[in-house]
Amino acid sequence: MITRKTLPRRTFLRGLGSAAIGLPFLDVMAPALASSTIPGKAPVRMAFFYVPNGMIMDAWNPDYVGKFQELPRSLKPLEPYKDDIIQLGNLTHNTGRALLDGAGDHGRCSGSYLTGIQVKKSLVEIKNGVSFDQIVANEVGKQTRFPSLELGMEDARQAGDCDSGYSCAYTNNLSWRSETQPLPPILDPRALFERMFGTGLPMTPAERARQTRYRRSILDFVTDDTRKLESNLGPTDRRKLDEYLSSIREVERQIERAEKDNKQIDPKMDKPYGVPADFAEHFRMMSNMIAIAFQADQTRIVTFLMTREGSSRPYRELGIPDGHHPLTHHRNQPELMEKVRKINEYHVRQFASFIEKMKSTKEGDATLLDNSMIVYGAGLQDGNAHLHEDLPTIIAGKGGNYIKTGRRIVARKETPMCNLFVTMMDRMGVHVENFGDSTGRLQGLDLA
Amino acid sequence: MQFGRGKPSAGAFFDSDFTTLDSVLAVAVLYGMQGKNDCRMAMISTSRPDLATVGYVDTVERYYHGPGRNFAQVPPVAMRTEGKPGVTPKAFITPFDKKKPDGTSVYTNQVKSVIDTADPNTMFRNYLQAQYAQNGFFVLAGPGTNLANLLEFRGAKELITAKIKYLVIAQASGDVAAMRKVLADWPTSIVSVGPEIGAAIEFPGASIDKEFLAANPDNPVADAYRAWDPKLGNTPAVATAAALYAGRPKEGYFKLSGPGTLTMRDDGKIEFNATANGRHQYLSVDPSQTEKIAKTFVELASAKPVIRLRFRPDAAMEEKKDDKEEKKDEKP
Repeated sequence: MITRKTLPRRTFLRGLGSAAIGLPFLDVMAPALASSTIPGKAPVRMAFFYVPNGMIMDAWNPDYVGKFQELPRSLKPLEPYKDDIIQLGNLTHNTGRALLDGAGDHGRCSGSYLTGIQVKKSLVEIKNGVSFDQIVANEVGKQTRFPSLELGMEDARQAGDCDSGYSCAYTNNLSWRSETQPLPPILDPRALFERMFGTGLPMTPAERARQTRYRRSILDFVTDDTRKLESNLGPTDRRKLDEYLSSIREVERQIERAEKDNKQIDPKMDKPYGVPADFAEHFRMMSNMIAIAFQADQTRIVTFLMTREGSSRPYRELGIPDGHHPLTHHRNQPELMEKVRKINEYHVRQFASFIEKMKSTKEGDATLLDNSMIVYGAGLQDGNAHLHEDLPTIIAGKGGNYIKTGRRIVARKETPMCNLFVTMMDRMGVHVENFGDSTGRLQGLDLA
Repeated sequence: MQFGRGKPSAGAFFDSDFTTLDSVLAVAVLYGMQGKNDCRMAMISTSRPDLATVGYVDTVERYYHGPGRNFAQVPPVAMRTEGKPGVTPKAFITPFDKKKPDGTSVYTNQVKSVIDTADPNTMFRNYLQAQYAQNGFFVLAGPGTNLANLLEFRGAKELITAKIKYLVIAQASGDVAAMRKVLADWPTSIVSVGPEIGAAIEFPGASIDKEFLAANPDNPVADAYRAWDPKLGNTPAVATAAALYAGRPKEGYFKLSGPGTLTMRDDGKIEFNATANGRHQYLSVDPSQTEKIAKTFVELASAKPVIRLRFRPDAAMEEKKDDKEEKKDEKP
């Protein structure tokens, strides 16, 4: 029941059944605060969007340091948002290197990406470390419905050999709760939707079909609560709420469409129930829900494995029938390198659509993007040579008025990626002296 | 390590302030030994924050690294950023003026700013982790500042103990406090190479116009030598001797003292006290070896760069497996 004029931040629209919809940050939640102070007060969110198999670096790194001029080809889709991003150079994951463990750079680099730990080369005796997002989640996650969300788009196998003796647990997870316990990503948009707006328990296809038959939208379940809430809101908040609920409805429609399409394409297809065949569509659904989760403060921490390390996914939508991973072993053949550049740029284009969504979502006088640190990065630099230094890394968002964006900064060579993590942890309010192989804080993020 | 497989050759770590030609010749000798599979150059660091010198050392590394197909990456030069840069030896600048017949530069300085260098402690740590147990050595040819700092770095002592068999110090000098710390706290063996070695053993300058020229007319070490001493006189070779001993300790080039303890006096001189359980030793000249040593210097330093052999456990099998994986990946 919503009767108060000042609304608690953790208010849900509840209804019959298991629906529970968190709300975006509304003015009515902070009436005492002048709107101009809100950017500093809003929670800071962080997300990692991971892309595999390295990059063609001539299309990734510009030949300058400092304020962005013309963006290199792979970053072109981010041109409209270049004042909102920062590109980082020379960050290194030494723990991704062989370090006497031989082949298996893909398994190592994704396994250690957020942990900064040299993972144990094994198919059965899994050993990693706690990933830094989970250290943050343990502290900050108490304030939100979900301490963190782990998402992916490709493969959630947890066993088997995914790279030269490295278990699939290393390539198919970014987040690790403990040394031995990865947090498998949710791949299915329907499953994610139900987790975000339901009880969190997965439904069987039969249960889902029954629910689909009897309702049009999850929003129908919370109509009464919505009306009551609206009567307490001013016009700005009402518009904000309307936009927010519309975005949830839009995701719902996308999921329904994907489910319908999947049945038409191939009823026996080897994909989870609501996973669309189209990569961009799948990405849009997942990333829209990330934006909603951030907007409603359902979580402040997301890891998103766009595709897994070593992925051999073809990109027929770009006219590329070859697998991604084999292509990255291009041996400097120009036509193969060109295909990889196209894939790199395609991934960034998807990411740009998410940044647009985050930037267009207002939060006080700022935007959701301003209050976030969205890292887009890879665990390998050059996929042909399997290099672990100068890892492709971008941060979108200002992390709550902290990061001076619109430029490229380059650290000294061999600077640990974990230095960035320790700095991000500071921004999230979790202060540690060391993490992984860090040697200090990453300098210069806040210096224009 | 895999059962039944040997270790690769020892990893060489070289730290210097690079104020002498001797230190560059030592690098050339270490690379020459890499070509003979006596050691593998792991990394070079400098305790002097002089970008111009680092640019030259980086050029030397790129030269000896060899042709482009070499699988190994050229590691960055690690440079301390505190302290004064001092004066860049002119001989380290002059080679960049050398032109090809078409007017382009023979050597390119790729070190433009501090971001082209690495932090010494981070790089020591990263490259130590890549060494097999007790399969690396350090050569220190200059002040002990970088190594003293390393000894204070989180986890470094344990890593040194695990990976580094010995430290060879060439003509310990400068920064008394740092050198004392190194001598007191270095957790494995130390061998000292004093100035008397340089007085007795010299690098033959005449080789620049003979062996070096015959191997390659464009060698940045030879070009620096010409700039340093246009008359091509001999160069006292303390650091070069230290490098040779470090890479080939069992070759019998030098006499090795019994165990003891090295300390540095207030005047910067090194003292040695024999003790039965000491971890320190020092080298002395074996007159019967000096001619052979000079010849070996030239043979190693003037050798054409050699592509470093790939070594990793089960390398052949892993590569076959990778091929299989890729073929499997290619299936739709």
